Amino acid sequence: MDERLERYSRQMLFAPIGESGQQKLSESAVCIIGMGALGTVLANHMVRAGVGMVRIVDRDYVEKSNLQRQMLYDEDDVREGYPKAIAAERKLRRINSDVKIEAVVADVTVHNIDDLLGGMDLVLDGTDNFQTRFLLNDACFRRGIPFTYGGAVSSRGMSAILVPGKTPCLRCFLPSADSGGQTCDTIGVIAPVVDIVASYQAVEALKYLVEADKARRNSLVTFDLWSNYYYEMKLGEAAKECPCCQLKEYPALQVTETDQTVSLCGRSTVQISGHGPLNLEQWHKRLEPAAVKVELNAYLLKAELPEGERLVLFPDGRVLVQGTEDIVRAKTLYARYIGY
Amino acid sequence: MQLIINGEAKELDATTIQDVVVHFGLEGRPLVVEADGEIVAKEQWPDIEVRPLMKIELVHFVGGG
Repeated sequence: MDERLERYSRQMLFAPIGESGQQKLSESAVCIIGMGALGTVLANHMVRAGVGMVRIVDRDYVEKSNLQRQMLYDEDDVREGYPKAIAAERKLRRINSDVKIEAVVADVTVHNIDDLLGGMDLVLDGTDNFQTRFLLNDACFRRGIPFTYGGAVSSRGMSAILVPGKTPCLRCFLPSADSGGQTCDTIGVIAPVVDIVASYQAVEALKYLVEADKARRNSLVTFDLWSNYYYEMKLGEAAKECPCCQLKEYPALQVTETDQTVSLCGRSTVQISGHGPLNLEQWHKRLEPAAVKVELNAYLLKAELPEGERLVLFPDGRVLVQGTEDIVRAKTLYARYIGY
Repeated sequence: MQLIINGEAKELDATTIQDVVVHFGLEGRPLVVEADGEIVAKEQWPDIEVRPLMKIELVHFVGGG
């Protein structure tokens, strides 16, 4: 049997996909934004299913607290301090070498989102905050690319596929990106809810890519695994005054000179962006005398500070200040050591 | 008044959808409210009156990932 037919035989025996669906998958390209808990499950599904090209994007690196739920990473990745996109790419290539995998280590912003979506048929949401989701939402709806929303926190999960011209967008339901203070950082998350949410996203992706439009879920599914709650809310009509899909103002794509400091999900970290590219070898030399310990690999530089916090520098100019949730404190340390 | 909140019968003192949201301390949360199967826009929460046994779903948007 042809190697390809053998690999995908069970999936092709599933009649709604079949041989023609498999062919469509192999000709498709998807982008996964965020390679944390949701993103790793999404990438695993897309790569095993034989989607032709999978672009994975993440700004962060692998840490021990990720291993409880981020299924593509292991202890070696933590020891090596690899960026998530690189560690995931390495694992995904071993899973299916037929798939073209493109790893991008970057923060997703208004400046690069359009390039990241170029040539993509579908976007899968693996982000951990509504600010980035609104950016994805607006960029996808402007380009006419569907976007599968997924969110998981505590034992609660939610998912929907949002298709420009056919369904409302995320902004139709949510006027602001405020998460109401409930993040993985504050109330935790258990792994089963992540797998289920991402699998709901993945199956809608497969339906869309094989053009099984009648099978598409036209609801927002929401559940709480611990209290056995499950509910499907009809997506209904777009909000009349939606600034994205109706008024076509795409607020997140309006370039402003806003401070790009953001807090990450999952631990005490503040990211400060906006610096030009950082030469890590130079910064290694500069920080070595001042820091308690400095570690450099091909992708990032970590410096343990005498104050107790840690700086992580990336070549694209981002700096993570770890060990604080206080933005002012983070900026003080940034100014003290990076000096801009 | 008895209302069916997320599938469970609850007795609470409320006249409008807004009162229900306040009762559960959910103001300011990323929330979508559905009453008898229809989404109620946030601007309408203070205007839509609840009635006995109305089925109300309070759906929190989930941000983590």
